[in-house]
Formats: sequence, C-alpha cells, structure tokens
Amino acid sequence: MLKGKGVSTGIGFGNVVLLKKTEREIEKETIPKEQIEQELEKVHEALQEVIKETESQMNNITGTEADIMQAYIMIMQDPSLISETENAIKNLNYNAEYAVEVGFNSVIQIFENMDDEYMAARSRDILDIKNRVLGKLFKEKTIDLTKLRPNTIIVATELTTSDTAKLDFENISGIVTELGGENSHTSIMARTHTIPAITKVKEATKILKDGDNIAINGTTGEIYINPTEDEKQKLLVLEKQLESEKVELEKYRNKESVTKDGIKVKLYANIGLPSDAEVALNNTAEGIGLLRSEFLYMDSDTMPSEESQFTAYKKVAEIMDGRETIIRTLDIGGDKDLKYLELEKEANPFLGYRAIRLCLDRPSILKTQLRAILRASAFGKLAIMFPMISSVEELREAKEVLEECKKELDNENITYDQNIQVGIMIEIPSAALIADKLAKECDFFSIGTNDLIQYTVAVERGNEKISKLYTKFHPAVIQLIKKAIDGAHLANIICGMCGEAAGDPSFIPLLVGLGLDEFSMNSNSILKARKTINNLNAKECAKLSEEIIQMASAKDVEKRLKEFINQ
Amino acid sequence: MVKDKIILTNETGLHARPASELAKLAGTFKSTIKLYVNGKTIDAKSVLGIMAAGIKYNTEIEIECDGEDEEKALSEIKKGFENNFDKQ
Repeated sequence: MLKGKGVSTGIGFGNVVLLKKTEREIEKETIPKEQIEQELEKVHEALQEVIKETESQMNNITGTEADIMQAYIMIMQDPSLISETENAIKNLNYNAEYAVEVGFNSVIQIFENMDDEYMAARSRDILDIKNRVLGKLFKEKTIDLTKLRPNTIIVATELTTSDTAKLDFENISGIVTELGGENSHTSIMARTHTIPAITKVKEATKILKDGDNIAINGTTGEIYINPTEDEKQKLLVLEKQLESEKVELEKYRNKESVTKDGIKVKLYANIGLPSDAEVALNNTAEGIGLLRSEFLYMDSDTMPSEESQFTAYKKVAEIMDGRETIIRTLDIGGDKDLKYLELEKEANPFLGYRAIRLCLDRPSILKTQLRAILRASAFGKLAIMFPMISSVEELREAKEVLEECKKELDNENITYDQNIQVGIMIEIPSAALIADKLAKECDFFSIGTNDLIQYTVAVERGNEKISKLYTKFHPAVIQLIKKAIDGAHLANIICGMCGEAAGDPSFIPLLVGLGLDEFSMNSNSILKARKTINNLNAKECAKLSEEIIQMASAKDVEKRLKEFINQ
Repeated sequence: MVKDKIILTNETGLHARPASELAKLAGTFKSTIKLYVNGKTIDAKSVLGIMAAGIKYNTEIEIECDGEDEEKALSEIKKGFENNFDKQ
C-alpha cells in the first residue's frame, strides 16, 4: 500500500493513466543565416498552436479557473515571453528547439528566484508552456485528457494548470500526484469537482504503471495496488457511508437553524480572509461571527493603511450582502509577532502585551482600524468586536476611541452605520465572571472558547505535554460559559460563541440548553451543526445542561454529552 | 508626458489576475506606459514584466504615460489600481 496526503475526500476505484513527462533530447545546432526566418516561423507557429488549444479549453470553464487561464493566455501572447528565444535564433543562430529551451529557461529563472511564493510558482506555468511548445516542435502525440476511459485514475508528478483545465472529469475517479499541497491548484479543483485526490505520494509515477488497477481513499491518503476483495469491500462500505453522510447533510442546506420545539439560533462562520466569505455563503452561513482581521497586518511590512483596510472590509460587507459580519479588532502581540510593531520579548506572552491591551496603548493603530470598519459599515451590516477584554475600564476606553472616530467621520461628512453594534470577546475568566456588568455596556458577547479554556485551566494550548488537561468539558469552563450567557440575557443582549467548541456536535446540545444565541464555526461544519440543531429538543437540552452543571469531573461531562448526542 | 504615484492596496500583491488585467488595460492605449517600482522600470503592457517585478502589497508605484492619449491612460490605470483590477 502507498500512502500520501488526502486532499479531497472520497473513495475511487480505477485504472492508472500515467502522465509522465516525455524525456526529449534537445540538440544544439548552428543554423545557416538563410534558415533564421524559417526557425523563427517554427517557434511562432508552435506557440500559436498552443495558444489556440488553450483558448478552445476556455469554453467549458468559468469563475476563478477561467481567470487563471486568461492570465495564462496573456503570458503566452506577451512578446517578451519569446524575445529571448528570438534573440537566440537571430544572434546565436540556434535551431528552434534549442532556442526555445534556453530562451524560456531564462524567463523561468527570473520567476524561480523571486522571494514571493506565489510568483515562484508561476515559473511552473512557464515551464509548462515551454514543454507544450517543445511538444509541438517535436510533433509529439500527447494523451488526450479530454477523452478518457471510464474509471481513470490520473497519476502524475504534478498536474499543471493546462492539464487540469482540459481534464475529462466525467471519467476520472481519482487523482494521485507526487507533489502539491492541500491548497495547490489541483487539490482545490479536485474538491470543487468532488474527485478523490491524494498528493505527496513519493515516487508514485515510478511505482504505479499504466493500466494498474488501484483504489484510493482521499480521506486517509491510502492507495491500494490490485486491492483484494476484502479491501474492496471495506472501501465500498466507507464509500457508501461518505455518500449517505453527504446526501444527508445536503438536506439541511435550505432548512432553518431551529430546534424541534421552535428555538431559533444563528449559525455563523469564522473566516480569516475576505474571499473566505464566499466559501462561508456556499456553506450556508447566515453571517460571519468572527472575521479575524490579522491577515491585513500579517501580509504587510508596514502598518496597513486605513484605505487598504477599508477596501478589504467593504469587500466582505458586499459579499455578505446585508448579513451580519462581526469584525474582531487586531488580536496580535505576545505569541503572534509583527516585526514592524517592534514588540519586546516577554516571559509569558499569553498573559502579556497583546490584542486590546496593545491597541489601547497605541490608540493610533486602533483608530485607523475603527475608521476603516466604520466607513465600510455603509456597505453592509458590520459589527465591531474587541478581543481580550478583562475589565469594564478596557471596554469603556475602547468605546471612547470608537466615539472619537465617529465624530471625526461626522466632521468629514463621511457616512457610516450610526447604529453599528459593538461587542466583546469573552475569553478571559474575569470577563465571564463580571459578564452581567459588561453586558450593560455593549451590544453582544462572543465567547472565545480556545482562550477561555487555556486561561481557566492554566494550560497553554500548544503544549503537548499537558494537552490532556486542556478540555472544554471541564466543569469550570462550562460554569463560565453559563455565566457569560446568563449575564448577556439579563441585559437583553445576544451571546454567541466563536471558538471551535461551537461547531462540535457533542457540545451543541449543552450550548442550546444554556441558551446560546449564535454559533460561529468553520464554514465546513455548518451543515452538520444545522443537522444537529434540527434534531434537538431545547427543553431536553435545558434539562441536560442542569444535569451537567451539577457534575464535578470533565470525564463525566464528556461521557454524558457523547451519550446524549448518540442516543 | 504625465505621471502620478499610487500605492498598491491589493493584499496579495500584483498577482496573475490583476497583472493580466493591468496589461490588458494598458494595451488599449496608444501611449507608452511605464511603471517605476523599487528602482525598476516596467512596461505596463507586458504581463510577464509586471509579474516578474513581484510588486507587493503597500508598494509605491509611479505610473508614467507618454503619447497622444496619455491623460486618459493615466486616469484609467489609476482607477484600475484603486479597484484592484476587479471586473466591473
């Protein structure tokens, strides 16, 4: 059995079609002067053929993929792509094949040497164009990827953009590559077309042969060569399970997020990039419960300007089209460093100078961000959330900065949402304990379980040695969650949760029982969470939560909750 | 000849799609259009030239247009940068 990294779930059975790079012998020849025109003509013709082929592939693709292909075609049409090749023919009198080899290589090198990972990856696009042009010059026959036999499993070192664009998806039951990661073009494309795919399979193109009968598991990354009847049966069972789970979840796509006895909750998504908002909507998120704004700061060598932040927030607001979108202000410092902030090293970064503490100490950072959010609030339903609040003083101070920003915008006659909601993260035990007081001074809470657990049980999240102690099932953590929810409801404000716990089906009944209003999670957990909620009875959940609150041990809590969800 | 400066606000830098949109737009004008970035001179009509310059987020770019339609070219290209070359 071979093993790699599963990047697109599902089970695939089929026969191998190897996409191996043909090894060509490119000989260097010196051509007579009168042949120069002819050699130039050959290169142009080969390139034109490749362009034509690519353009005809454009017809059946749309969206991002089409954009990528469009850019690819423009590269091929750019005269500077072959200017080096032409020079090699005109000035050095090389033959067409050798001139293409050296001419393209010089362009490839420019890209390879770039320190930008994305741009460095473009060198592969150009390498791909070179190979296709050479293929034309050598009049090679290529495997027709547009017409494959049923149940084909493609095995390749790596699939190029031009390969994937013409794939005959109907007949492909799997993809195996030696290179590529979870977010490579091939992996994304495989997930879009729901084709099982495995990457990082060492020497796959050497071990697997054309026509080999194989089975792959895109979840675990396992590849079975000539699978036995027993293995086949097991995989078929798995396949059925996956299928029925998927079909089952799809039923919840257009359903309301409501319990059997009519208690409605909100199912939101946590996102880290503006473009993730589209993924969230595809997964039926009803809003964004947490937009981590750190991406703006991490991708930059200097403080991001108000303008660039405004553009990013506006984009999310527009994608979400009136649905609530909660933007968390900068949550950085301590363990998450930014060079241009020039932070000092600390002995206890998690207890140190970070998030709102840093922002209140350097109000200009917070002001820039708040002005950007306020301006973007004219384009959708945005809300502001302050992280790491431990006291009412911090909340008041942060709100003062916000008021200043509003006044400035009023004076500048810039429109914004006058009623923009302001909330806080409940992730420090002190905030949970005075939740009833904090609730009187803001519009919503969102419980951040990841930090709340670590601060409550004094266990650092990343420390493997003590990871057993880090658990959301600890009765103290649950008491604090209850405190936060009760505090919010006393003041008639909404209480949400944006930690990983909000999307865990075994934890959801407890949260429903405690009265949580909004659940924010990774986009791909939303359908499952809706299914869970649709099958709950809120009154039973309330009883369950009363029972849990009485418990003393995290193990007992966990056992009881798993029992409840499986009953 | 007219010129102006802008700052790239696209978080991911001038990647394949915006680079090709820029080159496409520049190609619609008769003027020669040059970009000056980090001491380099780039032909704005060459998508490869733009991509090879690896212009990152928050970089200052000077746009220079020279030719009969230079005014229009400069304002259209500035507008393109402001919208991060999003399709309208």
